[in-house]
Amino acid sequence: MAISLRNLSVDYSLQQGTAHALRGVSLEIQEGEMLGLVGESGSGKSTVALALMGLLANNAQVTSGTATIEGKNFDLTKRNATAALRGRGMAMIFQDPMLSLNPVFTIGAQLCEVLRRRAPGSDRKTRVEMAQDALAKVKLSNPARRMNQYPHELSGGMRQRVVIAMALLSEPALLIADEPTTALDVTVEAQIMREIIGLRDRIGCAVLLITHSLGLVTEYCDAISVLYAGEKLESGTVEEVQRQPGHPYTRMLFDCEVPIDRQRHADASENRFTVIAGELPDPRLRPPGCIFNSRCDVSFEDCTTINPSDYPVRNDAGHSARCLRLRTP
Amino acid sequence: MTDAISISNAQLRFGETVALDGVSLSIRRGTCFGIVGESGSGKTTLMRAILGLQRLDHGEIRILCNPLVHSRAALKQRAGFIQPIFQDPAASLSPRSRIRTLMNEVGTVLREPHAATRERLGVILNRLGLPPGVIDKYPHEISGGQARRVAIARALLMKPSILIADEPTAGLDVSVQGDLLNLLQDIRRSDNITLVVISHNLAIVRLIAENAVVMRAGKVVEGGEIGSLFGSPQEVYTRDLLAAWPSIRAANTKR
Repeated sequence: MAISLRNLSVDYSLQQGTAHALRGVSLEIQEGEMLGLVGESGSGKSTVALALMGLLANNAQVTSGTATIEGKNFDLTKRNATAALRGRGMAMIFQDPMLSLNPVFTIGAQLCEVLRRRAPGSDRKTRVEMAQDALAKVKLSNPARRMNQYPHELSGGMRQRVVIAMALLSEPALLIADEPTTALDVTVEAQIMREIIGLRDRIGCAVLLITHSLGLVTEYCDAISVLYAGEKLESGTVEEVQRQPGHPYTRMLFDCEVPIDRQRHADASENRFTVIAGELPDPRLRPPGCIFNSRCDVSFEDCTTINPSDYPVRNDAGHSARCLRLRTP
Repeated sequence: MTDAISISNAQLRFGETVALDGVSLSIRRGTCFGIVGESGSGKTTLMRAILGLQRLDHGEIRILCNPLVHSRAALKQRAGFIQPIFQDPAASLSPRSRIRTLMNEVGTVLREPHAATRERLGVILNRLGLPPGVIDKYPHEISGGQARRVAIARALLMKPSILIADEPTAGLDVSVQGDLLNLLQDIRRSDNITLVVISHNLAIVRLIAENAVVMRAGKVVEGGEIGSLFGSPQEVYTRDLLAAWPSIRAANTKR
């Protein structure tokens, strides 16, 4: 059953005024698929996750938005709208596992807590067994010993495995992974991504991967959505978007990635890097027209006045982008 | 050509942990040198040792051919030609003082009139693309990319001949990352600075450095000229690192 998020808008009230962090963002994730949500810092990626989980800060206000998870509809503008799903229907993997695990409880205690909620009525012994089993499934060495250890005794990669084991125990319909490998090494990153894929395949959940690494998205995701300054600019299958980005921003993002086999100038000091000139627009005051207009390299007159709607790219129903150049005359 | 930094058989233990296990390397003046490896491989410890912030158990470090001396006077003198850019710029800037105060300290160390420091700072800020008003702000009021540029501005204000950057692009967006790397490249060429880049971003090190070493568990696993090091790695670990790198190559070949 597909998970969908429709027309999500979130405001943050700040001293300097109201910042519109998200404006009408819609996403759809098919069951058993992984959607990569990419964008720069400040584009609102994490706000999407927090709004879904109901973890937004006190100064945040969801002004519109509904979610459909496991066939049920949730009105996200209500406080704690998805509380019933936490720990059962939805699970989240945070960027820094040291901060998401409780430092004063053992790994075992924290895993069993999930089970107390997931399977009320089970006895302690079964829960411990299930928790150990989960640790073994995410390939954590010596699970029996890990159960009695505290988070600080484990390395970053091991901690992230514990969090994945937690997600595994709660058997969610939607798993949200917010920059799950940013704090980890490349070699560990690959292992953790494989564990997340393993988890998805085992319980058949939908995964929302929030990241700024296009490398990760192209390597592991099925679909991609590009967020910029709180608006979704493009979405489609990874293959299609990569082959022909519909939005200039997506193309520029791909150009900024540094491939490991890029042509190298013999004089190392001559190697240049691609940048996207300009800065994110003020979140308090949206400029008229296309949100990306000020940084776009192919913008034309209409871009300053018309806010583009979603146009299909190459007549592909699953691939669309919000760029006026895709308008059919 | 003389060496900017040469290290021979550096050894250091923290209790049971071997942080540096016989590291030897030399960095030629005016080049860019990359140090790559996973967390815990000793990259940052090595940087701290080069800066004289960490005493070695054994081994010798020479900076611009002079052996490293641990004394307050030597540390102060060293600050004039070797400058760090720490991994977390926000944490390396004091949260309680405005950027201006921080920059004025440089003048105090250099025994330079504040007016002269400010004039040079203006030029550097402009070059780094920072608004002049940034000096009146506190570190928490500026973005991550700006904080990193402020850290670089502070380092450059000392007029160093060697710049050591620990994970200069960690946590930055791809667009900002390119900007910062181009900047480092410019500085390197115009001021003929020796640049040492510590990073686990192999793709970037490959492009900006002439030579590099791969570290693991306090040892140099493999080192040499970038082209051959990344083109035909001899060690299994180097190959594993390269293979683990997520790449978008697949799409480029499809096109």
